[in-house]
Amino acid sequence: MKLDINDIARSLDLPVNTLDRWVRQGRIPVQKSGANWSFDVQVLKKWAAARNLPFTLPKTGPAAADENPTPETLLSAMRRGGAYTGLSGVTVEDILASAAECVPGLAAPEKSELHDTLIERERLTSTGMGKGVAIPHPRTPLRAGLAQPLIVTCFPQKPIDYNAIDARPVFVLFLLLSTSVKIHLHLLSKLAFCIRDDEFVRFLQGMPAAERLFSEINELERKLDQSELL
Amino acid sequence: MNLSKLWRYPSNWNIFRSDDRLLLILIAVIVGTCSGLAALALNRSLIALFEWLHHLRIYWWAFLLPAVGAALSSLFLEKVVNEAAGHGVPEVIYSVSRYGGLLRLRSSFSRLISSCLTIGTGGSAGPEAPVVMSGAAIGSNIAKFFALNDRQRVTLVGCGAAGAISSIFNAPIAGMVFTIEVILGEWSAVNIIPIAIASVAGTEISRLLQGNQIVFEHVQFNIAFIDIMACIGLAVLCAGASVLLTRLLKGMGRTAGRVKAPLWLKAAGGGCVVGLIGMLMPVVLGEGYHSIQAMIGGTFSTGLAFVAIAVLAKMAATAFTLGWGGSGGIFAPCLVIGSLTGLVYHRALLTIWPQVPWAGEGCFALLGMAGLVSGILQAPLTAIFLVVEISGGYEVILPLILVSAVSTTLCHYLEPASFYFKELVERGHLLRPGTDARVLTDLSVSELLETDCVCVRQDMVLRDFIQILKRSHRNHFPVEDSQTGQFLGMIHLDDLRPYLFNPAIYDAVFLDQVMDRSVLTVNLDDDVSEILRQMDVYNLFSMPVLSQGRYVGMVSKAAFLDKYRKELMVQSTQ
Repeated sequence: MKLDINDIARSLDLPVNTLDRWVRQGRIPVQKSGANWSFDVQVLKKWAAARNLPFTLPKTGPAAADENPTPETLLSAMRRGGAYTGLSGVTVEDILASAAECVPGLAAPEKSELHDTLIERERLTSTGMGKGVAIPHPRTPLRAGLAQPLIVTCFPQKPIDYNAIDARPVFVLFLLLSTSVKIHLHLLSKLAFCIRDDEFVRFLQGMPAAERLFSEINELERKLDQSELL
Repeated sequence: MNLSKLWRYPSNWNIFRSDDRLLLILIAVIVGTCSGLAALALNRSLIALFEWLHHLRIYWWAFLLPAVGAALSSLFLEKVVNEAAGHGVPEVIYSVSRYGGLLRLRSSFSRLISSCLTIGTGGSAGPEAPVVMSGAAIGSNIAKFFALNDRQRVTLVGCGAAGAISSIFNAPIAGMVFTIEVILGEWSAVNIIPIAIASVAGTEISRLLQGNQIVFEHVQFNIAFIDIMACIGLAVLCAGASVLLTRLLKGMGRTAGRVKAPLWLKAAGGGCVVGLIGMLMPVVLGEGYHSIQAMIGGTFSTGLAFVAIAVLAKMAATAFTLGWGGSGGIFAPCLVIGSLTGLVYHRALLTIWPQVPWAGEGCFALLGMAGLVSGILQAPLTAIFLVVEISGGYEVILPLILVSAVSTTLCHYLEPASFYFKELVERGHLLRPGTDARVLTDLSVSELLETDCVCVRQDMVLRDFIQILKRSHRNHFPVEDSQTGQFLGMIHLDDLRPYLFNPAIYDAVFLDQVMDRSVLTVNLDDDVSEILRQMDVYNLFSMPVLSQGRYVGMVSKAAFLDKYRKELMVQSTQ
């Protein structure tokens, strides 16, 4: 790995002009002749440790990409979760149990744990957002089982009395499972934006097939991103 | 890099790359030798000039000699080499702390010539400060030649000063201690070793060329307990003399500054007065080592009253020489005044208690020298080692330490800054390593700049601003003119917070209606300590930085803490 002086400055969390001055003043074991800098990373590490300065080499390759991930999109989370129709259940507990069953990639004990946390969340306040839509989710990210966030779209057989804020029965549930609080807020905010759109809610009432749903979501998300950029 | 160029850049050689101590030691030998030679050259030419002019001293117009010398030296400094008058040590100290010891090449000989003219013709000044300046300049330019960095250059400047002092006094320890105590102000192994080597080189070159002779002949003294007690009185007297001399020099400099005349004419006037004093009392003329020798040897055979007058006359002559523009240092006059003071004290003791067997008057002369040097330079260690080395006697060490300590302490009460530091302190230029002032001087605004604030335009409406707010990490938003890009003011999130949640005014409010136009700004080239002072006075946490009226970033106390701490860690650990 070839390092240049900018990498060294970043490793020490310093502006390059401070580093340049330190080299000129002879405070740091880096030599400069003309435009060439020469240094030994091991010597620098020892030097920094002796002065109690932080020295962390910049990450390269896939690790570096991790630092600044592209924000999660609604569409990909929904595709991972999938859409299911005709879920059975008349009470909130029953329908949440059926919804938890639908989550792909979870083992049975994890599913029952998920069910418990969903019920726990519902006890605080209902996740029925109004207009017949509910977004059930656990209070904290799941402890195990999920590598990426996902949204499971569930249409129950019959609308359910969900204690929603507008008291209307719920006909669609978006089970939102995230890997971190930040992603949770991000996805929840996007989903809420879609649901504000009455036309989309009417579209959902028709229990669209998965592919039609996803393309509609894609359209809405694109609109949302555009408005953010303005 | 080809081979012919390689030797110019020894710090790039592989063996010196990670640890340059050996390199510094090798170059220190060169620097010490060169500055030792420079010191010898001045010493020899002083003696030659003094002897050459000696036969003229019998004429009535001999009082004009110091005047001519001082005028020539002033003309030389002003017109030929274009350097400021004065002894040069503050310049060296300032350069070491501020510019990594960069000194001009011409400084390596300018003070030698000018002080030779002043002192050789009889002006009352010392050759030590000029050789320190020239040794320092030699060290600095050798470092420049080998393309060394600031820290290495500072060490070599110290080596030059140490070599010069060691050579002129034949006193290696005094050279070392003087450099570290006065010039560098930093005791670290990285500096001390090359400086010690340079002292050895400087002393050795002096011994090779003029033999291993101590400056003042060694005389045996028997020091009893009562003498040590009496020393405290001498220390008080020395402190008084030091303060008097310091004030006299300062007052004389101020008086001379008010006179509207060419510099050389002023120097000539001062020289005339010195010449007249010298006609009556030849002891005041020149650097005065001969009279010191006489005093230590106990052959200075004049009465108490005469010696007391001689103290004042020497002070006056020194003040007239240095205050009016002559060139030279204070070191040798200090030694003369000190030994005269010691003599006065001894004679007074003899008069009051004639039956007590006091140690010889030479002993008191030595102690007086130490007292004056510690008082004026406020460098007690230099005084102790110098006197021990130049007199070759270790038996006076106990009273010596006592006199130096008491004299330094008393002077510090009355004159907090020493003679060398006074100008620097007045200008705020005394920047010792590892101090707050030094760290702040090294930091510049551009290194503290935070550029993560998002700029906005004055004609944006609140709705647009809210979109920007979503993306920003900071609470401050600099406002730029949409046409010229000039900085107009700041928007502080705290001022807007109550209105952000009222969508009714999103399109009704323009940003120039809510921005703070009276915000205090700083410039890219502003002094960092001044910025911190403003932050404290106005209780600010961050300030916008402008360059030619355009916004370039923010400085905040958080960045200050981070950078300041790193700077301190790097500066205080070598």
